[in-house]
Amino acid sequence: MMKKLEKEDIQGLLVRGYGNLPTARYLLYTGTEPEMTLGFLRTILPKITPASEKPESVAFQVAFTHPGLAFLQLPEVVLDSFSREFKEGMNDIHRQLILGDTGEHAAHHWNWGNEPVHFLLLVYAKDEQQLEERISWLKSLAQTHAVQLKQALPTGLLYGKKEHFGFRDDISRPIIRELADSPELDPETSFPAGEFIMGYKNLYDEFAPAPTVPKELDPENKLPPHPDEQEQRDLGKNGCYLVFRQMEQRVSDFWQYMKTKAGDADAAIALASKMVGRWPDGSPLTRCPVKPDPSLSDANDFGFWEEDKAGLKCPIGAHIRRTNPRDHLVTERTQKDSREMAAKHRMLRKGRPYGPPLSPELDPHTLLQRTEDGEERGLHFICLVTDIRRQFEFVQNNWVNFHKFGGLENDSDPIIGNHYQNERRKTDSFSIPEYPVRKVLTDLPNFTRLKGGAYFFFPGIRALHYLLANG
Amino acid sequence: MSTVHKGLTVTVRLDEKNIPYVNGLLSEYRKDLKIYQETYRKSLSTTFFISWLTLPEQQYAGKERLPARILLLSSYVGSKAAHLRELVAFLGPQLRQVFSQSPEFPTGETDEQELIRFLQRKSIPNTFYSGFKFITTREADREAALKAAVLDYLQAAPDINSDSNPSEVKEKIERYVKNHPKLHWASRGIPFSFRNKLQMLAPLVVFSLVMIASIGSLIALFFSDAAVFQWLAWIFPAFVLTLLLLFLLLRLNENNPHEPSDPLPDEKVREIVALETNPVINEMTVIAPLKKGWIRRVFLAVTLKLVGLVAYFAYIPTVHTARWLQMDRGKRLVFIANFDNLSEAYAHDFVDSERRSMNMAVIFSHAFGFPATRWLVHKLYNHRSEYMKGVRAHQKITQFWYSYNRDLSVENLKRNRAFREGLFKEMDTSAIREWLLRI
Repeated sequence: MMKKLEKEDIQGLLVRGYGNLPTARYLLYTGTEPEMTLGFLRTILPKITPASEKPESVAFQVAFTHPGLAFLQLPEVVLDSFSREFKEGMNDIHRQLILGDTGEHAAHHWNWGNEPVHFLLLVYAKDEQQLEERISWLKSLAQTHAVQLKQALPTGLLYGKKEHFGFRDDISRPIIRELADSPELDPETSFPAGEFIMGYKNLYDEFAPAPTVPKELDPENKLPPHPDEQEQRDLGKNGCYLVFRQMEQRVSDFWQYMKTKAGDADAAIALASKMVGRWPDGSPLTRCPVKPDPSLSDANDFGFWEEDKAGLKCPIGAHIRRTNPRDHLVTERTQKDSREMAAKHRMLRKGRPYGPPLSPELDPHTLLQRTEDGEERGLHFICLVTDIRRQFEFVQNNWVNFHKFGGLENDSDPIIGNHYQNERRKTDSFSIPEYPVRKVLTDLPNFTRLKGGAYFFFPGIRALHYLLANG
Repeated sequence: MSTVHKGLTVTVRLDEKNIPYVNGLLSEYRKDLKIYQETYRKSLSTTFFISWLTLPEQQYAGKERLPARILLLSSYVGSKAAHLRELVAFLGPQLRQVFSQSPEFPTGETDEQELIRFLQRKSIPNTFYSGFKFITTREADREAALKAAVLDYLQAAPDINSDSNPSEVKEKIERYVKNHPKLHWASRGIPFSFRNKLQMLAPLVVFSLVMIASIGSLIALFFSDAAVFQWLAWIFPAFVLTLLLLFLLLRLNENNPHEPSDPLPDEKVREIVALETNPVINEMTVIAPLKKGWIRRVFLAVTLKLVGLVAYFAYIPTVHTARWLQMDRGKRLVFIANFDNLSEAYAHDFVDSERRSMNMAVIFSHAFGFPATRWLVHKLYNHRSEYMKGVRAHQKITQFWYSYNRDLSVENLKRNRAFREGLFKEMDTSAIREWLLRI
């Protein structure tokens, strides 16, 4: 029997994207004095929006880095109970290697994240005015508590749920089974809560790994008992890890490359679609390989095993096949094994674009005509997971950046992969299976560039109370 | 000529206090390897991989100390004698330097023959898996070059396009290969391929024949009481009964309380993963004492023999070669794998698929710290996390690791071979289209 979610103890972002609050800002802070920083956070605490509420005007969410929790003077034994990758951080040398954050993606080029950030506030509002009111309130609060705002990252939803390259985004979303109204759930798109929320069973029928607090450090029983360890309290319950990566999108470079390689506009759009795996309107190449079909722009009920094993419609190395291989992994011998493998590496995406679009309606025909305007734009990629290594890092390393993915030779993800050549590795090709011979595009530039990133702990409300009371 | 892949495992005892010195030597060789990679490739033509490491003492069943050891594990192709000759000819001084630290090494001067005999004497059997069967080191290079050349040819050929007839495209490719002085070799087909398959399958064929003969004899006993039938008729029932008995005894052993491994400290994990910097292929060595009880040792020994029989049909995605073996009178399980990408990704190959995690339980459930099971394959609580913890807890640092091939994934190797196999082979139109997708 499925366990009921404790929505009043879960931060709202885990169950909703706040689409009704279209303006948002992501604020990255560093404290200067622990007690004052705790004071700042305690003031904000009552405003943190739980999943049980559907706010109409404004929502606040908060997440902490490992240096942030250490700064708040959490006991060493508790700090140590977090996962290794969270403790090491996204900018750790080995983690950069795993994530493919080398060359121009390397942490020393980032705008933020290479120097410690302590916590992240995500503020969502109905309109710009509401947002500004909260931001100025936070500004004065930060001043009185000597908390430094390191970055205020703006966001802005784009026309037609698109991202800056002009493609419909975020169509394939995992559904948390415990939240679904219908008892008839597709096992391929629905997942047990433990995949994304700590304290619940995951796909392995285990409780997701979570940070813990020894019983004696929680004498008032603020935290629930840990389901597996009797001597521990569950600090992770109703929380998760939040992965944040700021990715600049080089929209003009992207479309210029397509134009150079393909010739006319329609061929350029078809080529870009091959790289993405969907047409700009979102319709999947697997279902409509020749031209887009607007009636399929939300289509998510397709696979590759039966429909396109060889990648003749949607190339094996296309972005959507790498980030979610669905039911076909070249290295697997059965559809069932492929499905089982792919399902174990899903994430809840909650990010938003930032920066002005290169053209307001993001029509690829218009984008093809536009030249660089000097504005920075991109995606604040945010995903929520219970296991950073198994979910986010696995996908980033093994599917997005591994240049041998699916029997390919020199191809990383054409859209978000790190494209380069050195004496040991070449990752800047893109192969399109065709008859009689595959087409290979070479010298792909990087169409995205990492500008910052960090791993955060996104606690449940009770855990938040514990952290701020005991820091 | 044999192109069957095999594993050589040489192990000798080592005084624990000599471990740092031996580790120092192996680390030096690892540094040299970075400079002399090409010399290694040229001199070790039968060798795909070498893992060379020291193993500290371990405890078995909470009381018995298992000795520190040196392990040399190579994956090779062809005859063992030729492989040993090659190892000694090229790595003779290093082998002497390292193995002479063991009390088991002969005293005095050792010439090449003596060193070969020593390695032979100290080698122990293993159950070996190869993900790219029957490909030699030379062929791995040549097949990659062949496919790359054909791809270039097709992309540049003005008369080949989407309207071309598949048979004509194939003919043109074959003509190109035949007439190209550097690719001409590929027109001769793959030598000894049937013989090599037969060689690999021979033990399974013999085993199956004996079992079939035994079942046949059981039936024949209804019609005849010939002595040969009476003797043969025992084999199959005895085999089945033995297996049943082993299963029952194992089931009793499974009632022992599960003792989980202590998680490996973060620093140790960092030390291990810091060596995984190769862009395509990396290596993992896991060595664990077995769970207590003689039945574990016996059951695992039988299992490894049976797994060895069906190794031809086994499939582990992304693994180039792997092996399992027991040492110290069956009290230690050794597992090494050479695989694509990083160990984090590789370990998921086992735990993410229900079927494969059951297969892995057949072997790993006998090792200390690995998850408890019921009836060998039925998972109990926290199977996945206990498995991952067990792997890390018993993973060893391989001080010296050599890989002949550094750039081709196992899928690349298989695709290159599949392309070559299709050359000059009769195919229908749809098979040709499939084959062209391999390029």
